[in-house]
Amino acid sequence: MREEDLPDLELHRRLSGGDRLAFDELYRRFGGSAYGVALRVTAQELIAQEVVQEAFLAIWRAPEAFDPARGAFRSFFLSLVHHRAVDAVRREERLRRRTERASNLEPVVGEDPAEDVVTDAYLGVRRKEVREALATLPVEQRQVLDMAYFGGKTQAVIAEELEIPIGTVKTRTFAAMRKLRAALAGEDEG
Amino acid sequence: MTQDHERIDELLAGYALLALSGPDAEEADRLLSEHVPSCARCHATLSDLQALSGDLALAADPVAPPDTLLPRLHRAIDEVPLAGRPPRRGALVGLAVSVLALVAMGGLSFTLGNRLTDAETRAGTALEILSLMRSPGAEPVSLSPQGETPASSGLVEVSAPNVRRLYLASERCPEPAPGKAYQLWLGGGGTWVAVGEMFRPEGGVVLLELEVDTSTYDEIWITEEPIGAAPQEPSTDGLSWRADL
Repeated sequence: MREEDLPDLELHRRLSGGDRLAFDELYRRFGGSAYGVALRVTAQELIAQEVVQEAFLAIWRAPEAFDPARGAFRSFFLSLVHHRAVDAVRREERLRRRTERASNLEPVVGEDPAEDVVTDAYLGVRRKEVREALATLPVEQRQVLDMAYFGGKTQAVIAEELEIPIGTVKTRTFAAMRKLRAALAGEDEG
Repeated sequence: MTQDHERIDELLAGYALLALSGPDAEEADRLLSEHVPSCARCHATLSDLQALSGDLALAADPVAPPDTLLPRLHRAIDEVPLAGRPPRRGALVGLAVSVLALVAMGGLSFTLGNRLTDAETRAGTALEILSLMRSPGAEPVSLSPQGETPASSGLVEVSAPNVRRLYLASERCPEPAPGKAYQLWLGGGGTWVAVGEMFRPEGGVVLLELEVDTSTYDEIWITEEPIGAAPQEPSTDGLSWRADL
């Protein structure tokens, strides 16, 4: 657990007590990031809003779903948003309608967030780390990661679209995840 | 075994990204129920991959949600009480005790504060109301009973300029007639708008919190309406309270 994650733990503790101010603080802290990823995945404003609303309500109504022993609250909550976004986009069967831009995970190192978004400094630091780690990936690994994560596509679909064996998609995906994990943990990836 | 774990790692990566389908998804489900819980290595790998999946969201640019989203969330929160935690209304009732007594408002003397068991909820929500009361221009408005409505059944509205929130409180609100409940209306320019869900008092106590900007309205009116109907305008028969804002 990083020291930067401790305020989130306190926020979660207050949320578990039904503290409405903690909920508002959670929204202020993660609303922009949550809406950003939901919008990126769904490419539909209304659906993205529904996704974000569902995610915030879910953590409000069942804060015990987060187990501090299993990692950072940030990862848990943003993963929750992402899962709901992927579910929504598959449910709506809009995968093929989205623009190339919406599914383009070109890491933009050093880019500032939208000016009107309130984000905590520590989220900005982590965002920079994630983008820098993504930038170290070989293009073919980043591509499958992009198509799965922001494109909401299954590995079978990715294999079909890229015209490569599904085994290759699996191998590239795990290799990408392993490198990212090592980079974000500050390790040398073997 | 190493080869098996390499294959499992790949499946877990796909699982963490929600990218599995068909036989792979079925195999992952089987592994998650039969193997992963008892394999420390795979358990740790899955935790790492899922944490990484969450952090990947940060690769997307943050985007400010629309201003309407937080009020929608507040409304949704108010509509569904939390299991295992003090209901919202109870929390607000308890807060009304300290806050309204503190400001000696309208002679109200709520006595239900001891319903609360969660000090954090109490303290957290107290700050909301205290914050509102400290807002410039905030003042309680006593609603006048209309017609045959008992004179002792005072309802008080609290809101403040530039704060999109309104509280409605009473400790002696009579029960509405069978099949009926109360509806809050806000009026301006000769038009009335129903605000929030219909409500009934609990033991005479009403304490509502509504996300609404009262600055564009001139009047507040509480009327008795048939349950299940969606009233288009305030009923003029039955119990009611009214005040200028």
